[in-house]
Amino acid sequence: MTQPPDLLEVREVAKSYGPVVALRSADLSAAPGGCHPLLCANGAGKSTLVKILSGVLRPDSGTIAVGGKQVRFGNPVEALRAGIAPVFQDPALVPHLSVADNFTLTGTDRAAVRPWLARLNLHVDLNERVNALPLALLRMLDLARALAHDPQLLLLDEMTAALPSDYTELVFAVMREWRERGRSVLFISHRLTEVQQICDRATVLRDGRAVDTHRTAEGGEARIVSAMLGERASRVDLPMAERRSAPAGGPARLEVEHLAAGRRLQDVSFSVGVGEVLGVVSLEGQGEDDLFLTLAGDQRMRSGSVLVDGTPVKGRHPIQAIRRGITLVPSDRQHAVLPQRSIRENLTLPLYSSLRSWGWINDRKERRGVQKAVEELDIDTRAADAAKQLSGGNQQKLTIGRWLVGGYDVMLCFDPTRGIDVGTKHQIYRLLRQQAAEGRSVLMFTSELREVPLVCDRVVVLHEGRIVAEFPAAAADEETLLHAMHNLPAREAS
Amino acid sequence: MTLVESPEKAPERTASRRLPAAMLALVGVLLALVLANGVVDASFFSFGQLRNTLLLAAPLALFAGAQTLCMLTGGIDLSVTMTATAVAYVVGSRAAAGDSTLTALLLGFAVALVIGLINGLAIGVFGVNPLIMTLGMAAILTGVLTAGSQSFLSGATQMPQLVLTLGRGTFLGPLPWNLLVWAVLAVLLVLLLRRTGLGRLIYAIGDNRRAARLAGVRVWQVETAVYVIAALLGAVAGILIGGRSGAVDLQLAGSFLLPSVAAAVIGGTSILGGVGGYGGTVIGALILTVLDTMLTRLSVGEAFRQFIAGVILLALAWFYVSSTRRASARRSPA
Amino acid sequence: MTVTASPVPQLPPPTRPHVRAIRLLRDEAWTGALAVLLAGLLIWQSTQVFRWGAFELETLFVSTLPLVFLALAQTVVVIAGGIDLSVGAQMVLFNCVSGYLMLDAGFGMSLLYAALVIVLGMAVGVLTGWIVTISGVPDIIVTLATGFIWVGVALWIMPQPGGGAPDRFRELFTGTGTAFWPALLCIAIPVAVVWTLLRRTRTGLSIYALGSDPQAAFLAGVDARKARLSAYALAGVFTALAGLATTAYTGGGQASLGVANTATLGAVAAVVLGGVALTGGVGGLIGPVLAVWCLFLIPANLLTLGVDPAYGEVVRGVVIVLVVLGGSLLRRKWSRT
Repeated sequence: MTQPPDLLEVREVAKSYGPVVALRSADLSAAPGGCHPLLCANGAGKSTLVKILSGVLRPDSGTIAVGGKQVRFGNPVEALRAGIAPVFQDPALVPHLSVADNFTLTGTDRAAVRPWLARLNLHVDLNERVNALPLALLRMLDLARALAHDPQLLLLDEMTAALPSDYTELVFAVMREWRERGRSVLFISHRLTEVQQICDRATVLRDGRAVDTHRTAEGGEARIVSAMLGERASRVDLPMAERRSAPAGGPARLEVEHLAAGRRLQDVSFSVGVGEVLGVVSLEGQGEDDLFLTLAGDQRMRSGSVLVDGTPVKGRHPIQAIRRGITLVPSDRQHAVLPQRSIRENLTLPLYSSLRSWGWINDRKERRGVQKAVEELDIDTRAADAAKQLSGGNQQKLTIGRWLVGGYDVMLCFDPTRGIDVGTKHQIYRLLRQQAAEGRSVLMFTSELREVPLVCDRVVVLHEGRIVAEFPAAAADEETLLHAMHNLPAREAS
Repeated sequence: MTLVESPEKAPERTASRRLPAAMLALVGVLLALVLANGVVDASFFSFGQLRNTLLLAAPLALFAGAQTLCMLTGGIDLSVTMTATAVAYVVGSRAAAGDSTLTALLLGFAVALVIGLINGLAIGVFGVNPLIMTLGMAAILTGVLTAGSQSFLSGATQMPQLVLTLGRGTFLGPLPWNLLVWAVLAVLLVLLLRRTGLGRLIYAIGDNRRAARLAGVRVWQVETAVYVIAALLGAVAGILIGGRSGAVDLQLAGSFLLPSVAAAVIGGTSILGGVGGYGGTVIGALILTVLDTMLTRLSVGEAFRQFIAGVILLALAWFYVSSTRRASARRSPA
Repeated sequence: MTVTASPVPQLPPPTRPHVRAIRLLRDEAWTGALAVLLAGLLIWQSTQVFRWGAFELETLFVSTLPLVFLALAQTVVVIAGGIDLSVGAQMVLFNCVSGYLMLDAGFGMSLLYAALVIVLGMAVGVLTGWIVTISGVPDIIVTLATGFIWVGVALWIMPQPGGGAPDRFRELFTGTGTAFWPALLCIAIPVAVVWTLLRRTRTGLSIYALGSDPQAAFLAGVDARKARLSAYALAGVFTALAGLATTAYTGGGQASLGVANTATLGAVAAVVLGGVALTGGVGGLIGPVLAVWCLFLIPANLLTLGVDPAYGEVVRGVVIVLVVLGGSLLRRKWSRT
C-alpha cells in the first residue's frame, strides 16, 4: 500500500545571519489530513522556519517540497501559489484600509471568504477600518482570508496566543474540518495541552534543528518537554565566581510591588537584593517586555510601585530611572546601538544625557571610562569606526559596556546573550557575576534556560503577566523551569 | 535601519575609512574646479576675484551649517533663509530708527532666538514634521516681512556701519571681514560637533533616536537647541548679506535655501541623520560656489547651471548611499 | 460574545444604514470640516463683494487650477509614504514644453500635444520613482536634485518667457467669460478617474498599503516597487496637467526656479491641510483640493477687508502650522489609547 506523498516535506533547511545560525538543519513533514504542531523553546529557529515556509525569507540551503513537487519561493505570493497560506502573529492586514479593501488587495475572492467568515462567527462589517478592530478579531479575519485561498497547507503561528477561548474553540473546529478535507495544518504553539487535543504528530525544534517527531498519543507532555530539553549534556565547565546565597534579611535594592503595565503585565511583585542576580524566565508574550520597559522608565505603569533603596521611582522618561540607578540593556540591539557612530561614542553616551554635560568633553575622563569598559568586556576594537561593523557579540558588549561607563545600581538585562556566539556568552556571564560580587544588582530575562543556574542567584517564572514560581539557582534546572513556564504542575525530580 | 554583524575574525578595512577618502575626493573635486576656473578665467586667482568668491561662499557656508545641524538630527530647516532676511530687516530698521548698533544687533539675534525656539519646540516637543514646521514658519515670516516692510520695518535700507564693514570690507589686503566672521563660527561649529557633549547627542539622536532615549537623553532638548543654533547662524548670515549689499529686501537670502541643503548633502551629511559633519559641508559649499562662478564665467546659461547642480547633487548622494551599502553587504552573507 | 459552533454557516448581518452613516462621518471628518470651512469662506466673500457671483467663483477655480493639480500629484506620492519636492519643477517643465509646442498650433494639434505632454509626465514620474527605488537615496534628496534638473531643462527649452497656445485650448481650462465649470470639470474628471484607480483597483490599494505599513503590505503580497512606480506615474500625470493648466492660464511658458519652489511648497501645504498624513497610507483626493481653495480664499478675503495681503500670507502660514500641530497632537493622543 503506497503512502500518498507528504503534503509538505522540509529537508535540511538552514539559514544563518553571518555567524549567527538561526536554523541549523530543519526536517519536517506534514501528511495530508494531518495536523502537525511545531513546538520549540524560545529562539530555537521557529520564526525563521515560519518565515522561510511563507516566502518571507529564502533559506541558505535545503529543500522544500509541496505535494511531492520541489518548490522555491522568494515572496509570500509565490508561497501562496505553491499552496502554503500563513497566518502570522501580526496579521498581514494593512491598518489604514478597510477589511474589504484588504481582501481586494490580496486578491481574496469574496465568495470564497464569506462562508469562512460565517463559520468563524466573524460578524463584522467588512467596511470597517482594520486599525479600528481588536487584535483577536484581526487574527481571525486573517485566518478566514488564508482559508479562502484554499491552501494545501495552513501555517498557523501561535494562532491561539492571546485569543479568547470561544475563538480558540472555533479555530480548533476549523482545523479539524481542514484535515477532514485532506489538507494539512502546521500549528506552532506553546500551549502543550492544546497541542495534545488537536494534533496527531508533533515536531520539536531545538537549537535550530528538529529533534523529535512523534505521535502525540505516545508520550504526552513529558515527552515534549524532555525533547525541548535535549540531552542533559554537561555544560562547558566554567569557573564560577563565588555566589552568595539569597540575601537573608539583607537590604533589597529594587522592590517591585503589584506592578501592572502595558498590555500584558498584570501583577508582579518581587525584589532584587544588593549584589544579587535575579533571573526572569517566561514563554514569549507573557508580559516580560512590559516589565522591563516599565522598570526602565520607558513605559508608564498602570498600578503598583517600584522602589529603589526604599524610595519610589516615578516618571515616564528613562532618565528618571537612570538617575535612580536603573539602567536597561534592551533585547534588540537595534534599540541600543548607534550603528554609524564609533565604539567610543556608543560607550560614553550616558555621560552626556543631562544638560549639565553638554559642554566640553573631558577627554581624559572619557578615555579612562572607555578603557575600563573595553578591558572588562574584552571588546574587540580593531579598525571599527562604526558600531554596525562589529559582530553581534561585540555590539552586545557595547550596550552593556555603556552602563559600566555611565554607572548604575540595577542593570536590567533583557536576553543579553540572544544570538551571540558561545565565547562571548561566557564572557558576559562572567562579567555579570563580577558586577554582582561588586555589590550591584542585576535583573536578567533570558530565553536560554541553561544560563540560569550559571548566572543567577534566584529565578522567577512569569506566566500571563504574573509570577507563578520562584526557585533558587540550585533548583533551577531546565525541566523544572520549562514546566513552570508552561504553568504545568511541578514534577518530582526524575 | 538594519544592524549588520560581521564575523568574529579580525575586521577588515572598514568602509568608513572610505569616508575620509570621500573627503579627499571632495577636496580633489574642489581643487580641480578651482584650476579649471583659473584656466577659464585667468583673473580668477586675483585677489579681487578670490575675495568675491569667498564673499559669496561665506553666507552659503553659514546656511549650510544650519542645515548640517538639523540634518544630523534627522530634520531640516527650510526657514533659515527667511530668518536671515528677518534679522537683516530688524537690524536695518532699528539702526535707521536711531538705535545703537549694538541694540540693533541684539534685537536681531533675539528675533532669531525666538524663531528658533518656536521651531525647536514644535519639532521636539510636539513632534511636528520638521519639513512642514519650518515651511510654515517660512511662510509666516514672508508674510510678516512683506507687511512689515510697508510699516514697522520700513526704512530698513540703512545698515549700520559696522555691518557694512563686516559685510563687504576687507582687512590685511584681500581678506574679507565676513570670512573672518565665518571662520570663527566654523571653528566653533566644528568644535561643537566634535568636542562637546551636545555634539555627541546630536549625532546620537540622528543615528538612533530610541537608543538615545533609552540611554537617558531628552531628545526634545537637543532638538530645540539645534533649531535655535540654526536660527542664530541664519541671523549672522543675514547680517553679512545685508552688509554686503547694503540694502535689505525680501529676496535677500531666498536663493541660498536649496543650495544650503545641497551643500550639506554633497559634503556627506545624510538627511536621515547620524552621519556627516561641518567639514564636508564647507567643502560642499565651496564646490557649489566655485562651480557657480565658473559657469557664470563661461556664460553658461542658467539652464545648464540648474541642470548640473541637480546632477551633481544626485550623483554624490547616490555615491554616498551605495558606498555605505557596499560596506554592509560585504559584512554579512544574509 | 458567547459562541456555539454551529454547523450551518450564517451570513454576517447586513450593515445597518445608520452605522454606515456614522462611519462615513468619522472617516471623512477632516474633509467635511474643510468643506464647512470652504463654505464659510465663500459666504464671507459673498458678503464682502458687491454682486458676488460667477466671476469670483471663476477666479477661484481657474487661478488655482495648476496648484490643485500639483496638490493632487503630491497627495498620491505622500499616500505611498513618500514626498516629491520636484512637483513644482515638473509643472514648470511641462508648462514650457507645452507652451513651446503649442505656439502657432491649431486646436487639433494642441490636443495632440497635450496628450503627448501627459505621457511625458507619466514617463518623468516613472523615472523619478525608479531612481528613488534603485538608488536607495531618500526621496526628499532625489526629488530635490531632479527639481533642479527639470528647471534646467525648462530653461533650455524656453530661456525667455514665450510660447503660446490656441485660444480654444485655453478655454478648455479657463472657460469663456465667467464660466467656471470647465475648470471644475478639469478637476472633477481626473479626480474621479484616479480615485477609482486608487480605491477600487489592486494597484491603487497597494499604494495605500505601501504608505500605511510596508511590512504588512509585503506579507500581504504587495509588490512595493510596482506600487511606488505607479504612485509616481500618477503624480506625473497630474504635474503634466498642472503644466498644461498653467499654459492655458498664462497663454505661454515661463521657466522660473522661484515659481517651481513656491508651487511645490504650496502643494505640500495643501496636502497636509487636506488631511493626508505625511506618514502615508491615509487620505483622499478631495481634501487637498478643498484645502487649495481655502488657502486661496483666506488671504483673498482678508484683502477685501482691507487687510494687507501680506498679513493674509501670515494667517495662511499660521493656519498651516496650527493645523499640523493640532494634527500631530491628536494623532499622539489616539495612539496612546
